[in-house]
Amino acid sequence: MSGEEEENAAELKIGDEFLKAKCLMNCEVSLILEHKFEQLQQMSDDPRNQVSQVFEKSLQYVKRFSRYKNPDAVKQVREILSRYQLTEFELCVLGNLCPETVEEAIAMVPSIKAKGRVHDDEAIDKMLNDLALIKKFE
Amino acid sequence: MFLKTELQWNVVIPAESLDAKGLMLQKAIVVRLLDEFSKRKATKDLGYLLALTTVEKIGEGKVRQHTGDVLFPVTFSAISFKLFRGEILEGLVHKVLKQGVILRCGPIENVYLSSSKMPDYKYVPGENPLFMNDKMSKIGKGVTLRFIVIGAKWLEAEREFQALVGLHADYLGPVS
Repeated sequence: MSGEEEENAAELKIGDEFLKAKCLMNCEVSLILEHKFEQLQQMSDDPRNQVSQVFEKSLQYVKRFSRYKNPDAVKQVREILSRYQLTEFELCVLGNLCPETVEEAIAMVPSIKAKGRVHDDEAIDKMLNDLALIKKFE
Repeated sequence: MFLKTELQWNVVIPAESLDAKGLMLQKAIVVRLLDEFSKRKATKDLGYLLALTTVEKIGEGKVRQHTGDVLFPVTFSAISFKLFRGEILEGLVHKVLKQGVILRCGPIENVYLSSSKMPDYKYVPGENPLFMNDKMSKIGKGVTLRFIVIGAKWLEAEREFQALVGLHADYLGPVS
Protein backbone atom coordinates (compact mmCIF):
# COMPACT_ATOMS: atom_id res chain seq x y z
CA MET A 1 0.00 0.00 0.00
CA SER A 2 1.35 3.37 -0.87
CA GLY A 3 0.38 4.97 2.39
CA GLU A 4 -2.71 6.90 1.36
CA GLU A 5 -4.71 5.01 3.97
CA GLU A 6 -3.34 2.81 6.65
CA GLU A 7 -3.60 -0.88 5.94
CA ASN A 8 -5.97 -2.75 8.20
CA ALA A 9 -7.24 -6.18 7.26
CA ALA A 10 -9.88 -6.03 9.99
CA GLU A 11 -11.62 -3.27 8.03
CA LEU A 12 -10.72 -4.81 4.69
CA LYS A 13 -8.27 -2.02 3.96
CA ILE A 14 -5.68 -4.11 2.19
CA GLY A 15 -5.30 -2.27 -1.10
CA ASP A 16 -7.48 -2.66 -4.16
CA GLU A 17 -5.10 -4.97 -5.96
CA PHE A 18 -5.33 -7.45 -3.09
CA LEU A 19 -9.07 -7.13 -2.61
CA LYS A 20 -9.45 -8.25 -6.19
CA ALA A 21 -6.67 -10.84 -6.08
CA LYS A 22 -7.63 -14.40 -5.54
CA CYS A 23 -6.85 -15.53 -2.03
CA LEU A 24 -6.22 -19.15 -1.21
CA MET A 25 -7.01 -21.10 1.94
CA ASN A 26 -4.23 -23.08 3.60
CA CYS A 27 -5.89 -26.35 2.59
CA GLU A 28 -6.01 -25.26 -1.06
CA VAL A 29 -2.36 -24.22 -1.03
CA SER A 30 -1.52 -27.56 0.55
CA LEU A 31 -3.14 -29.47 -2.32
CA ILE A 32 -1.39 -27.34 -4.95
CA LEU A 33 2.06 -27.52 -3.34
CA GLU A 34 1.86 -31.25 -2.69
CA HIS A 35 0.92 -31.86 -6.28
CA LYS A 36 3.79 -29.64 -7.40
CA PHE A 37 6.19 -31.47 -5.10
CA GLU A 38 5.21 -34.84 -6.58
CA GLN A 39 5.70 -33.48 -10.09
CA LEU A 40 9.18 -32.27 -9.21
CA GLN A 41 10.05 -35.58 -7.62
CA GLN A 42 9.21 -37.38 -10.83
CA MET A 43 11.35 -35.00 -12.84
CA SER A 44 14.52 -35.25 -10.82
CA ASP A 45 16.31 -37.80 -8.65
CA ASP A 46 16.81 -35.42 -5.80
CA PRO A 47 13.81 -33.12 -5.44
CA ARG A 48 15.54 -31.04 -2.76
CA ASN A 49 17.68 -29.54 -5.49
CA GLN A 50 14.63 -28.09 -7.14
CA VAL A 51 12.53 -26.95 -4.24
CA SER A 52 13.23 -23.52 -2.82
CA GLN A 53 13.33 -22.91 0.91
CA VAL A 54 10.27 -20.71 0.65
CA PHE A 55 8.44 -23.61 -0.98
CA GLU A 56 9.57 -26.12 1.60
CA LYS A 57 8.68 -23.98 4.63
CA SER A 58 5.31 -23.09 3.15
CA LEU A 59 4.50 -26.72 2.43
CA GLN A 60 5.32 -27.66 6.03
CA TYR A 61 3.15 -24.84 7.27
CA VAL A 62 0.06 -25.53 5.17
CA LYS A 63 0.26 -29.25 5.91
CA ARG A 64 0.09 -28.47 9.60
CA PHE A 65 -2.45 -25.66 9.40
CA SER A 66 -5.01 -27.11 6.99
CA ARG A 67 -8.40 -27.76 8.54
CA TYR A 68 -9.49 -29.93 5.66
CA LYS A 69 -7.36 -32.56 3.94
CA ASN A 70 -9.72 -34.30 1.56
CA PRO A 71 -9.77 -32.54 -1.86
CA ASP A 72 -13.57 -32.84 -2.11
CA ALA A 73 -14.03 -31.26 1.29
CA VAL A 74 -11.67 -28.44 0.34
CA LYS A 75 -13.76 -27.73 -2.73
CA GLN A 76 -16.99 -27.83 -0.71
CA VAL A 77 -15.66 -25.36 1.85
CA ARG A 78 -15.08 -22.77 -0.86
CA GLU A 79 -18.43 -23.54 -2.47
CA ILE A 80 -20.36 -23.10 0.75
CA LEU A 81 -18.55 -19.96 1.87
CA SER A 82 -19.05 -18.45 -1.60
CA ARG A 83 -22.79 -18.37 -0.97
CA TYR A 84 -22.40 -15.79 1.80
CA GLN A 85 -21.27 -12.68 -0.13
CA LEU A 86 -17.84 -12.64 1.42
CA THR A 87 -14.76 -11.10 -0.11
CA GLU A 88 -11.98 -13.50 -1.09
CA PHE A 89 -9.98 -12.37 1.93
CA GLU A 90 -12.80 -12.96 4.42
CA LEU A 91 -13.65 -16.31 2.89
CA CYS A 92 -10.10 -17.57 3.35
CA VAL A 93 -9.70 -16.30 6.92
CA LEU A 94 -12.89 -18.14 7.90
CA GLY A 95 -11.83 -21.29 6.04
CA ASN A 96 -8.41 -21.20 7.71
CA LEU A 97 -9.47 -20.52 11.28
CA CYS A 98 -12.84 -22.31 11.36
CA PRO A 99 -14.38 -20.31 14.19
CA GLU A 100 -16.89 -22.21 16.28
CA THR A 101 -19.20 -19.44 17.46
CA VAL A 102 -20.70 -16.33 15.88
CA GLU A 103 -18.83 -14.17 18.36
CA GLU A 104 -15.53 -15.83 17.47
CA ALA A 105 -16.21 -15.45 13.74
CA ILE A 106 -16.80 -11.72 14.14
CA ALA A 107 -13.61 -11.40 16.19
CA MET A 108 -11.65 -13.15 13.43
CA VAL A 109 -13.27 -11.20 10.56
CA PRO A 110 -14.69 -7.94 12.02
CA SER A 111 -15.50 -6.66 8.53
CA ILE A 112 -18.40 -9.13 8.11
CA LYS A 113 -20.35 -7.07 10.63
CA ALA A 114 -19.44 -3.74 9.08
CA LYS A 115 -22.08 -1.25 8.00
CA GLY A 116 -23.97 -2.13 4.88
CA ARG A 117 -23.14 -5.81 5.00
CA VAL A 118 -25.96 -8.30 5.05
CA HIS A 119 -24.72 -10.67 7.71
CA ASP A 120 -26.93 -11.02 10.73
CA ASP A 121 -25.97 -13.42 13.49
CA GLU A 122 -28.35 -16.02 12.16
CA ALA A 123 -26.71 -16.11 8.74
CA ILE A 124 -23.25 -16.34 10.30
CA ASP A 125 -24.43 -19.14 12.56
CA LYS A 126 -25.77 -21.08 9.59
CA MET A 127 -22.50 -20.61 7.75
CA LEU A 128 -20.50 -21.96 10.68
CA ASN A 129 -22.81 -24.95 10.97
CA ASP A 130 -22.35 -25.72 7.29
CA LEU A 131 -18.59 -25.58 7.75
CA ALA A 132 -18.69 -27.84 10.79
CA LEU A 133 -20.75 -30.36 8.84
CA ILE A 134 -18.11 -30.66 6.13
CA LYS A 135 -15.48 -31.33 8.76
CA LYS A 136 -17.66 -33.97 10.38
CA PHE A 137 -18.21 -35.91 7.17
CA GLU A 138 -14.73 -35.50 5.74
CA MET B 1 -2.68 -14.70 3.37
CA PHE B 2 -1.82 -16.86 0.42
CA LEU B 3 -2.52 -15.09 -2.86
CA LYS B 4 -2.80 -16.23 -6.43
CA THR B 5 -1.56 -13.55 -8.80
CA GLU B 6 -0.80 -13.12 -12.45
CA LEU B 7 2.61 -11.71 -13.20
CA GLN B 8 4.51 -10.59 -16.23
CA TRP B 9 8.27 -10.87 -16.24
CA ASN B 10 10.85 -10.54 -18.96
CA VAL B 11 13.05 -13.56 -19.49
CA VAL B 12 16.38 -13.07 -21.21
CA ILE B 13 17.85 -15.95 -23.19
CA PRO B 14 21.56 -15.42 -23.95
CA ALA B 15 22.49 -15.50 -27.60
CA GLU B 16 24.78 -18.51 -27.18
CA SER B 17 22.00 -20.74 -25.88
CA LEU B 18 19.79 -20.04 -28.89
CA ASP B 19 20.25 -22.88 -31.31
CA ALA B 20 18.53 -24.16 -34.37
CA LYS B 21 16.34 -26.58 -32.41
CA GLY B 22 13.32 -24.37 -31.97
CA LEU B 23 11.51 -26.84 -29.73
CA MET B 24 14.12 -26.43 -27.03
CA LEU B 25 13.51 -22.71 -26.82
CA GLN B 26 10.23 -22.91 -24.95
CA LYS B 27 11.82 -25.22 -22.42
CA ALA B 28 14.80 -22.91 -22.05
CA ILE B 29 12.47 -19.99 -21.34
CA VAL B 30 10.53 -21.88 -18.70
CA VAL B 31 13.68 -23.20 -17.01
CA ARG B 32 15.10 -19.70 -16.93
CA LEU B 33 11.86 -18.30 -15.53
CA LEU B 34 11.70 -20.95 -12.79
CA ASP B 35 15.28 -20.18 -11.90
CA GLU B 36 14.66 -16.46 -11.59
CA PHE B 37 11.45 -17.06 -9.72
CA SER B 38 13.15 -19.00 -6.94
CA LYS B 39 16.10 -16.61 -6.84
CA ARG B 40 13.80 -13.61 -6.39
CA LYS B 41 12.45 -15.23 -3.20
CA ALA B 42 10.12 -12.37 -2.29
CA THR B 43 8.98 -8.93 -3.38
CA LYS B 44 7.82 -6.01 -1.29
CA ASP B 45 4.37 -5.93 -2.91
CA LEU B 46 3.52 -9.60 -3.30
CA GLY B 47 5.36 -11.08 -0.35
CA TYR B 48 7.10 -14.44 -0.58
CA LEU B 49 7.02 -16.21 -3.92
CA LEU B 50 6.09 -19.84 -3.30
CA ALA B 51 5.42 -21.54 -6.56
CA LEU B 52 4.76 -20.87 -10.15
CA THR B 53 1.55 -22.61 -11.14
CA THR B 54 0.97 -22.02 -14.84
CA VAL B 55 2.69 -20.26 -17.70
CA GLU B 56 -0.11 -18.43 -19.49
CA LYS B 57 1.69 -16.87 -22.40
CA ILE B 58 5.14 -16.42 -23.87
CA GLY B 59 5.22 -13.27 -25.95
CA GLU B 60 7.25 -12.51 -29.01
CA GLY B 61 10.99 -12.27 -28.42
CA LYS B 62 12.85 -9.03 -28.92
CA VAL B 63 16.50 -9.11 -29.89
CA ARG B 64 18.67 -6.84 -27.79
CA GLN B 65 21.15 -4.73 -29.63
CA HIS B 66 24.88 -5.32 -29.10
CA THR B 67 24.55 -8.57 -27.14
CA GLY B 68 22.16 -10.44 -29.38
CA ASP B 69 20.31 -11.84 -26.35
CA VAL B 70 16.60 -12.33 -26.78
CA LEU B 71 14.07 -11.00 -24.32
CA PHE B 72 10.71 -12.73 -23.96
CA PRO B 73 7.76 -11.28 -22.03
CA VAL B 74 6.20 -14.17 -20.09
CA THR B 75 2.82 -14.08 -18.38
CA PHE B 76 2.30 -16.62 -15.60
CA SER B 77 0.34 -17.36 -12.44
CA ALA B 78 2.01 -17.79 -9.10
CA ILE B 79 1.21 -18.27 -5.44
CA SER B 80 2.60 -15.85 -2.90
CA PHE B 81 2.29 -15.26 0.83
CA LYS B 82 1.86 -11.80 2.28
CA LEU B 83 1.08 -10.60 5.79
CA PHE B 84 -1.48 -7.84 6.17
CA ARG B 85 -1.76 -5.51 9.12
CA GLY B 86 -4.80 -6.53 11.16
CA GLU B 87 -4.89 -10.05 9.72
CA ILE B 88 -5.40 -12.95 12.10
CA LEU B 89 -3.18 -15.98 11.54
CA GLU B 90 -1.80 -19.05 13.21
CA GLY B 91 1.87 -19.84 13.69
CA LEU B 92 4.27 -22.08 15.53
CA VAL B 93 6.58 -20.87 18.32
CA HIS B 94 10.19 -21.88 17.61
CA LYS B 95 12.16 -19.73 20.02
CA VAL B 96 11.48 -18.40 23.51
CA LEU B 97 13.40 -15.36 24.71
CA LYS B 98 13.05 -13.28 27.83
CA GLN B 99 11.66 -10.40 25.77
CA GLY B 100 9.16 -12.47 23.83
CA VAL B 101 8.78 -15.40 21.46
CA ILE B 102 9.59 -15.95 17.79
CA LEU B 103 7.18 -17.78 15.54
CA ARG B 104 7.11 -19.38 12.15
CA CYS B 105 4.20 -18.55 9.92
CA GLY B 106 4.08 -19.70 6.32
CA PRO B 107 7.52 -19.10 4.81
CA ILE B 108 8.34 -16.41 7.39
CA GLU B 109 10.68 -17.35 10.22
CA ASN B 110 10.84 -14.00 12.00
CA VAL B 111 7.43 -13.37 13.45
CA TYR B 112 8.04 -11.63 16.75
CA LEU B 113 5.59 -11.56 19.63
CA SER B 114 6.98 -9.21 22.24
CA SER B 115 6.18 -9.80 25.91
CA SER B 116 4.69 -6.28 25.92
CA LYS B 117 2.09 -7.50 23.43
CA MET B 118 0.96 -10.31 25.73
CA PRO B 119 0.72 -8.41 29.02
CA ASP B 120 -1.07 -11.12 31.00
CA TYR B 121 1.70 -13.64 30.30
CA LYS B 122 4.78 -13.79 32.55
CA TYR B 123 8.18 -15.17 31.61
CA VAL B 124 9.09 -18.40 33.41
CA PRO B 125 12.85 -19.09 33.14
CA GLY B 126 14.31 -22.60 33.19
CA GLU B 127 15.71 -25.27 30.91
CA ASN B 128 12.65 -24.88 28.74
CA PRO B 129 11.65 -21.28 29.31
CA LEU B 130 8.07 -20.30 28.57
CA PHE B 131 5.41 -17.68 29.11
CA MET B 132 2.42 -18.41 31.33
CA ASN B 133 -0.68 -16.53 32.46
CA ASP B 134 -2.94 -16.83 35.53
CA LYS B 135 -5.10 -19.40 33.81
CA MET B 136 -2.04 -21.65 33.34
CA SER B 137 -2.13 -21.12 29.61
CA LYS B 138 1.43 -21.73 28.36
CA ILE B 139 3.36 -20.33 25.42
CA GLY B 140 6.54 -22.32 24.85
CA LYS B 141 8.51 -23.90 22.04
CA GLY B 142 6.28 -25.95 19.73
CA VAL B 143 3.05 -24.25 20.78
CA THR B 144 0.58 -23.14 18.11
CA LEU B 145 -0.60 -19.56 18.54
CA ARG B 146 -3.33 -17.51 16.99
CA PHE B 147 -2.28 -13.88 16.71
CA ILE B 148 -3.00 -10.55 15.03
CA VAL B 149 -0.47 -8.84 12.73
CA ILE B 150 0.62 -5.43 14.02
CA GLY B 151 3.05 -4.69 11.25
CA ALA B 152 5.36 -6.24 8.68
CA LYS B 153 8.65 -4.77 7.55
CA TRP B 154 10.34 -5.48 4.23
CA LEU B 155 14.10 -5.91 4.44
CA GLU B 156 15.43 -5.12 0.99
CA ALA B 157 18.96 -6.48 1.52
CA GLU B 158 17.82 -9.87 2.81
CA ARG B 159 14.71 -9.96 0.62
CA GLU B 160 12.75 -10.95 3.68
CA PHE B 161 9.93 -9.78 5.89
CA GLN B 162 9.95 -9.28 9.62
CA ALA B 163 6.64 -9.19 11.39
CA LEU B 164 5.40 -7.90 14.72
CA VAL B 165 2.33 -9.59 16.13
CA GLY B 166 0.20 -9.37 19.25
CA LEU B 167 -2.40 -11.19 21.31
CA HIS B 168 -4.40 -8.08 22.24
CA ALA B 169 -7.83 -9.14 20.95
CA ASP B 170 -10.43 -11.76 21.81
CA TYR B 171 -9.96 -15.38 20.81
CA LEU B 172 -6.20 -15.03 20.38
CA GLY B 173 -3.56 -17.14 22.12
CA PRO B 174 -2.56 -20.80 22.20
CA VAL B 175 -4.72 -23.20 20.19
CA SER B 176 -4.81 -26.92 20.77
